[in-house]
Parts: sequence; C-alpha cells; structure tokens
Amino acid sequence: MFRHYLLTACKVFLRRKLFTAINLLCIVLTLVILLVVTALLENAFYPTGVEGKSPRMLQVMMIEAHTADGNSTSRTPLGYKAIAQYLKPLKNAERVSAVTIPETVSVYQEGRVSELMMRHADADYWKILAFTVLAGRLPTPDDDAQGRPVAVLNAASAARLFPGIATGAVVGRTVSVGGQPLQIIGVVDNALQLNAYADIWAPISSLPSSNYRSQMTGMFTALLLAHSPADLPRLKREVEQVAATVQLDDPRQWPIVRLWADSKLDLFARMLLQRDGSDGGGATLLAGVAALMLLFMLLPALNLVNLNMGRILERSAEIGVRKAFGATSLQLVGQLVLENVLLCLAGGALGLLCAKGVLLWLEGSGLIPYLHVELDLAVFGYGLLITLVFGLMSGVIPAWKMSRLDPVHALKGVA
Amino acid sequence: MIQLNNVSKTYQTDKVETLALRGIDLHIREDEFVCIMGPSGCGKSTLLNLIGLLDQPGGGSIHVGGAAVTSYRDKHVARLRNATFGFIFQSFHLINDLRVIDNVELPLLYRSVAAGERRAMARAALEKVGLGARMEHYPNQLSGGQQQRVAIARAIVGRPRVLLADEPTGNLDSKMGGEIMDLLLQLNREGTTVVMVTHDERAAQRVNRIVRVFDGQLVA
Repeated sequence: MFRHYLLTACKVFLRRKLFTAINLLCIVLTLVILLVVTALLENAFYPTGVEGKSPRMLQVMMIEAHTADGNSTSRTPLGYKAIAQYLKPLKNAERVSAVTIPETVSVYQEGRVSELMMRHADADYWKILAFTVLAGRLPTPDDDAQGRPVAVLNAASAARLFPGIATGAVVGRTVSVGGQPLQIIGVVDNALQLNAYADIWAPISSLPSSNYRSQMTGMFTALLLAHSPADLPRLKREVEQVAATVQLDDPRQWPIVRLWADSKLDLFARMLLQRDGSDGGGATLLAGVAALMLLFMLLPALNLVNLNMGRILERSAEIGVRKAFGATSLQLVGQLVLENVLLCLAGGALGLLCAKGVLLWLEGSGLIPYLHVELDLAVFGYGLLITLVFGLMSGVIPAWKMSRLDPVHALKGVA
Repeated sequence: MIQLNNVSKTYQTDKVETLALRGIDLHIREDEFVCIMGPSGCGKSTLLNLIGLLDQPGGGSIHVGGAAVTSYRDKHVARLRNATFGFIFQSFHLINDLRVIDNVELPLLYRSVAAGERRAMARAALEKVGLGARMEHYPNQLSGGQQQRVAIARAIVGRPRVLLADEPTGNLDSKMGGEIMDLLLQLNREGTTVVMVTHDERAAQRVNRIVRVFDGQLVA
C-alpha cells in the first residue's frame, strides 16, 4: 500500500511540475527564514561555548533612578563604584564581575590605525566566561591589583594587527590603544555572544584615569554568577533589595534607585519591551516570537491548502474510482496527507540545505562579526517538526473534504 | 443476488427537487446478464449506482446477497463494494499516473492481499482480457478498446460476484464495442453476474434479460 501511495505521489508531483515547484518554493523559503532565525536566536541565547555558564548567570546593565514625585526617570549604565560597593558583596553570588560596554578605540600599529571594539574587565570576568585561549594567558587578579598595562586580543584582531605573524608570536608584542601602550599577554578565540563580544580586552585598572572608581553611573555592566541555577531567583531578589540601599551622588534629586538582574533573554526583552519591574519579559518575548513564527507559517500553509484543494479537486475522478473499488475515507485521507507530508519533507530537506548555505554565507560575509552558527541536531529537529506541521496543516483539510465526497459526485468531477 | 424494493431517488439542486427514480422493484438473480435500457436522463445510471452502492436511495431497501444494506457508513459500504462489485465506466476512469498493472491492482490494495499475490492476480486478469503484453504501459499509451479492457481487468481482478458496467461500449467503435461485449458475455458464462447500462440495442439482444426504464420507473 505504502509503495503504491509513494508511486502515485511521485507521478503526481512529476506531472504537475509547476505546482510542485511552487509548493517547494513556498516551503523552502519559509523554512529557510525560520531555520536561520532559530539558529541565530539559539546562538544568541542558548548557553554554549564562551557563555556556557549562562544558566547560572545574570547581568545588571542599567541603574534606574526616579525622582520622589515619580515624574522623571533616569536609566544609565552602571558605574564601577556601584558594582564594587553594592554588587560585589552579594551573598548569593559566587562571583561578580565588572566589565565595560564595548567601545570603539583606535589602535596604532606599525603606522596603521585600526578601529577595534574594546572592553575593560576585572579578573572575575575571565573566570565567569569560558574563553578559549589560543596563546599566552588571561589577566589575573594580580594584573588588576598592579594596574599592569596588558591586553588580550581575539584571533581576528591578532591577525589584523599582526598580519603574517603566528598567533603564538603575537604574545609579548605591544600595541598602542589611543596612545596608551598595552602589552599583549594572550590571544583568545573570536566570540560573538552578548557579554563576550569584543576585539581587545584590558584590565579595568589599566584605564588611563582612576575617576571610574568614584562613579555610581558610567559605562559598566555587572556579570553575576550564582552557585547554581536554583540560586538565581534568590540572587535576583537580593539585587532588588540591595538597590533599595543604593545612594546616588545626588540622592535628593534621585531618591529612588532600582537595579534589575536579568538573564540574557530577560535583558534583551527588557530593552526591547522597555519593561520595568523584576520580570524582564523574556517569557512574553518568547511567546511573541512563537506567535509570530506560527503566523509566519500560517500564511504559506493557507496558500498550500488552497493549492492542494485545487490539486486534489483535479483528482476527484481518481478519488471516485478508489472509493468505488473499496477505499474508505480514512484510507484516502492517509494517502493524500502522505503525499503532502512527502512533499513537505522534500521541501524540508531542501530548506535545510538552503538554510545551511545562507548561514555559511552570513558567516563569510562579515555582516555579523565572528558569527559561527551550526545547524545542529536541535535546529534540524525544529526544522523537521515545522515541516511536518506544515504537511499536516496544508494536507488534512483538503484531504478530509475530498474524502467525504460521494463516489458518484467524485466520478463526475463535481466537488 | 440483488433485490431492490420500492426504491426511489430524488436529487435536490438549489430549490429544485428532481425525482430520478420511483417505486423500483427489481430482482437480479445470480449468473444473470441484465441490460438496463432507456432514453437519456431516464435514470438508468442512477439505478446502476444504487445497485452498486455508489449512491444512497431516498427510499425503499436494497438487499445484496440476501442481506439488507442497512448502513451506508463509509467503512461498511466500502468493504461491501470491494467484496461484491466490479465497476466498468463509459470513460474508463483509469488513473493515468499509474501503469496498467498498478491500475489493475487497485481493488486488491484495499484488501489484505500480499504484494506478490496482488501482482500475480493482476497479471492473470490482464492476460484474461488479452493485455498480458501491455502491463508496463501507461493508460494513455493504449487505444480506447485496450483501455476498456484494462478497466475490465481491474473490475474482475478481485473476483467480484457482480460486474456493473455503465455504457462500457459507449466510447468505442462498433468493432471494439463488439469485442468488449464478447468479453463481458464470456465472464457471465464463467459465473459472474453482469448488469449493464446501454443504448446499444444490438448488444442488448445478446443478453438474457432487458430491463427498461422510462421517467424514473421500470416499464415492462
């Protein structure tokens, strides 16, 4: 029976080449967009690689201050003092790191000027994130304490600043960052993730001025590492409690201060949705993305239902003959849905190949720096699931409608 | 074999109600070759469709093999059609995407018949209608007469007790029509009950019973 259905499906697809091509194109385009978006989202939010400790990590990015009457609100990145005084002593955190938001710096090297993204980080930063060291070493607490003018480069920047020189040989050389000489002590692998993204890193204590030590607001982010994922709610609450004790430089103007410790997804959602309160809105954002994806799938699915209805209508005589010779409605639904699922699986396979191609192109194009995305088994699974949902969504309704036809009407081609 | 008692059929189109058949009492015995004749639109094909359970009567009852058809539920009626009837249509209704052999196998697909046995039965049916050499062809590679032979092979492959033919020679020239008629007569001689709708008086003269329909009623 299955072989017969398969044979019929292949013949129908080959006979209706235009229909098959339109169907496949519809499926492939939708799948490529969904798979590429899923892969990029997974790359951004799924804890792997350098941010593998994400499940027990939170970040505090902004300090929110309100006037007493609540009419004015100020949101600025944290200053080092706020982190050192209020967040470093948190009881529920295993480590707390202070790191600057990436900023563009000019690096002078052998008569050339290169624009790089730079972060200043303390030694805890290197313990929280799991960079792959390609050569040399990472900064230590001693480098922090001594204020040593050292720096770590990523592989791409090492190759850019020192063309033709092996990665290992870059260690020990000096670069001039905005006029400040920094000695390269290590080279790490490129990383795109939210907290890891930069081209060059230096200890906070190597900043040219020590003014940062007395600033409550500034250009820092705090990374908080909990002992376990189960500790995250406690850590979040502790941050909110600590926020109540924070005093800004002008407490009369800004008497109310709030801090939110967010997961990566919550942080992204908070910025996107402009949320206040302890819930950053990650779940809402995910639900919104899922709804959009479903809506995005619904349009081609409706189109396919329409196309399938036309295709199946053309075959009403065949349906009549099959019914006359003993096919039940359920057997006919099975046959017609199988045809659809087969087409969708073929589209799915093509879509996966095309998605891989698009991601390879994205990686190579440099549109998103340091992008390295794999269409792994999970993404493949999503693709397969999406494809099957497609097949069922676009096949069941027309198949069921046609299978209910009286054989007499079907044979006359009256649907 | 088949008994129709006071069967009627009405078609409803928009607000118009058309009475296609009324008060039909008909008994078809085993091994009979019955021709249903009458002018166009008199209800011949409707009667054949009711006999073959392709359509549901508006009133009256139908007995097949002594048992009343009480349920027209999909699964029940599909099984009964598959086991009892073989259909031959005027326009053949072969599936052009499938080879001749696959077309003939079709009724066996809806029974629990192993693939090998299915193939052997289909081959035997095609040889019986003289198309053993055309098994791998597609329907549109055959002449009209050959296509109708394939349709007959498909109708007899499951060894049904009754063959229902709706103007089987209507689309064929007289020579090919004659050949098809010979084939149906041979099948009837071998024990298959045949019920055929036709306009062809010459063909009707060759069978042992003619039933005439006029304005939806049987006439003597």
